[in-house]
Amino acid sequence: MPTTLEPTEVKEPDLDDAAAVDRPWVVLVWNDPVNLMSYVTFVFQKLFGYSLEKATELMLDVHEKGRAVVASCGREEAEMHVFRLHEHSLWATMEHDGPSS
Amino acid sequence: MARRRRFVAPVQALDGGWRINLDDEERNLLVRLMGELEALLTGPDDNELIRRLFPVAYPDDDEKEAEYQRLMREELVTSRLAAIASVTRTIDPASAPVMLDEGETIAFMQSINAVRLVLGSMLGITDDDSADDADAADSPEHHLYDFLSWLLEWTVRSLSPN
Repeated sequence: MPTTLEPTEVKEPDLDDAAAVDRPWVVLVWNDPVNLMSYVTFVFQKLFGYSLEKATELMLDVHEKGRAVVASCGREEAEMHVFRLHEHSLWATMEHDGPSS
Repeated sequence: MARRRRFVAPVQALDGGWRINLDDEERNLLVRLMGELEALLTGPDDNELIRRLFPVAYPDDDEKEAEYQRLMREELVTSRLAAIASVTRTIDPASAPVMLDEGETIAFMQSINAVRLVLGSMLGITDDDSADDADAADSPEHHLYDFLSWLLEWTVRSLSPN
């Protein structure tokens, strides 16, 4: 185990209230009969950096279970993912993770 | 003795980029389809044929959805039109480069798929059963749909990391 002393770093608390209260959002991709399985797998790899195995697993979830959660993040990032999925014509939506308050 | 022509993939990843191996007739067909897709995208927003190209982002929240579409729909149209312009330039026999770069190949992939979605709407492919029916059907539109699916498979394969 390395024993090098790291300089002490004091982490400032995140003061961005909006970000702090932003509950995680999930990005969902839904099954559709037109998009090819190989295409969907490739898009998951390209947009999220998933391995072939992970991307294939998610694609099969979409195909067999009707939908899959492909990302979980803050609202702004989720919107960006949804937009990029829409650019690739995948049926992507987003919603709050967990029950609404 | 006649030798069978060796099969060459329609899209190939080579050292200097991606090469499209289609004849002029196929290229002109794709250019025409890009023109038709562009006309649909710049036409009325409520055309059923392009509904699939603009999915709902917030199905459970009308207010957020309206806001999202207000901000993003135009950006999505712009992105799609840029991809179409790239495909038209790189496929038209009059202007096609020898090789496409990765961005141009991805634009090709996205636009071919967008045309497939429009055709899918025309052909009434709404679920996996109707997709199976469409596989068995035999009309010019079905042949076109199959051709684009075949082309898309090869494009995806050429772009996929080994």
